Amino acid sequence: MRWGSRAKNIWISLFVVVWTLVFHYESVRFFYLNPFFHRELPKVKFLFPPAGWIMFFNLDESYGMAEVYGVKKGRPELIDPHEIFATQAIGYDNIHRNVLSSVLYPQRKEDFCRFLKRKFPFYDGFLVAAVYYPSIIKEPAKKLYRVVYQCP
Amino acid sequence: MPVKTQKLWNRLFLGYRSSLGLSFFRIFVALTVGFHVIPSFFHLEDNYLSTAFKETNLSFFTPSVIHWIQQSPDWLIYFFVSFFLLYWFFFLIGLYSQVSGILMMIGCYYFYALNSFHIGTLSWDILLVTLFLMCVTGYHGDYFSVDALRQGNRFVYKKKKPYFIQRLLQMQIAFNYFYTGLYKITAQGNWLSDNPLYYLWNYPPEGVTKQFLFREFFASRPELCYWMGIGIVSVELLAPILLFWPRTRVFAIGMGFFFHILLITTLHVPTIFFFLFPAQLLLFVNPDDILAWIKKKRKDNHDSGRSQIIYDGKCHFCRWSVQKLLTMDLLGTLKKVDYHDHDDPSKLHLSLNKEICHSQLHLIEPAGKIYGGFFIFRRLCLRLPMLYPFIPIVYFPGSGIVGPSVYRWVAKNRYLLHFSGECQDNTCFR
Repeated sequence: MRWGSRAKNIWISLFVVVWTLVFHYESVRFFYLNPFFHRELPKVKFLFPPAGWIMFFNLDESYGMAEVYGVKKGRPELIDPHEIFATQAIGYDNIHRNVLSSVLYPQRKEDFCRFLKRKFPFYDGFLVAAVYYPSIIKEPAKKLYRVVYQCP
Repeated sequence: MPVKTQKLWNRLFLGYRSSLGLSFFRIFVALTVGFHVIPSFFHLEDNYLSTAFKETNLSFFTPSVIHWIQQSPDWLIYFFVSFFLLYWFFFLIGLYSQVSGILMMIGCYYFYALNSFHIGTLSWDILLVTLFLMCVTGYHGDYFSVDALRQGNRFVYKKKKPYFIQRLLQMQIAFNYFYTGLYKITAQGNWLSDNPLYYLWNYPPEGVTKQFLFREFFASRPELCYWMGIGIVSVELLAPILLFWPRTRVFAIGMGFFFHILLITTLHVPTIFFFLFPAQLLLFVNPDDILAWIKKKRKDNHDSGRSQIIYDGKCHFCRWSVQKLLTMDLLGTLKKVDYHDHDDPSKLHLSLNKEICHSQLHLIEPAGKIYGGFFIFRRLCLRLPMLYPFIPIVYFPGSGIVGPSVYRWVAKNRYLLHFSGECQDNTCFR
């Protein structure tokens, strides 16, 4: 075998080995390796999700989401979430993927209120509420509401 | 290393095969990236500019990178939108494939760091892993690309390249399925102990489940949902075996297609699941089998009679154009014929004479039908896979009127379009 081909094969083999190790390490790090070693192992930055390939891995019979109300003359009106985040993805609806729920974190209040005021200047203020279905099976119509924060 | 292990390693990763499949896959990677990112550009104020509602992914990026990117003034964001669109398009058409892939990926990272709220999903992270592997080499530009046309080698699709990237992409998707299944039944997954599919079908209207046919039927049958869930997990866990074992490979690819169609019709999941993964499954088709199929088709076309492209062999631009058409002619349906080689062109077709042959290209199909100028291009768009993207343009209402004028203008000014001395005085056109 020529030296050039040999060197190429060595590089390819090294790449394959390193890539395979990193790929499987990141696939099991969060849920398997961290508990096994009782510590948080380093994550490979700039590639790979935070906790492996966990698509729909845990679902229970409760369901939670966020609702945003615009307040005008003291009366709250439900704002269509598609008007809040108007980006139309191709083939699916991001609102149905519950993107709005991330505004429920109290630390997001300041940013989200600023955003709402810019988008809906005709409201006097806003209410951000958490909506919770305790059991979509036993009591599908039962919805619990809690105002998480208000935008003045 | 024992000889057997070395042989296996060589076969798995160090072999050389055609990168035709990888080139085809590039188009789907580009489309997936485009479909995912570009819609977010329609609302820059909401998504990226200083007025946007932003979310940052600190587990993916380092805080310093996030901080650095977040400092972007609006003009820089506009610049990166143009930058991304340009290199995304280059990557899609395969122009400087590897470089444009890398630059497009930089654009992806930029917008992901700027705001992960819309584009940051688990499937997006999978897409970035795929994109990283794609960018390691430029083999994905070997065919179905402008790069292939620039090279002008009609048999470039046969050129063999190291197979390791395609193998790693195969491993990636197979183990994505495997780990997805594993997480459903271990760690905090509850697909064995509970009935997630049943809950999913019963989600409220605001939830992730679409209103699909038979939803009510499944939503009222918990036991059926449970066993469907077990079935899904079983197939996911077996995916590496089913995909890598040649005997079950076709079945596994078919199952994968079915699964992704089911996923996109029942759930609001990113289209990455639909555009990327099925195409990635096709990487399991052995390139040698694809080449053998192409070879057979070329032979069949040769035996049953090919269409003839009648061109002016003394015109450099015409030779150049025909060469490009032959490069695109994967299945060998065309045969080039220089009309100068024939004393009497009417023997090729009754409607032809030297004057007519000189004025424009002609295509004579095996059944004897003849096309000229723009209508050749229209005809070939249906036949040459690399011209498929032009079908909506050449069949757009009115293109039959505009197209011939454009063709005639190009033919008349063809000396402007190349650097050959032969046509610079436009003598090629009469």
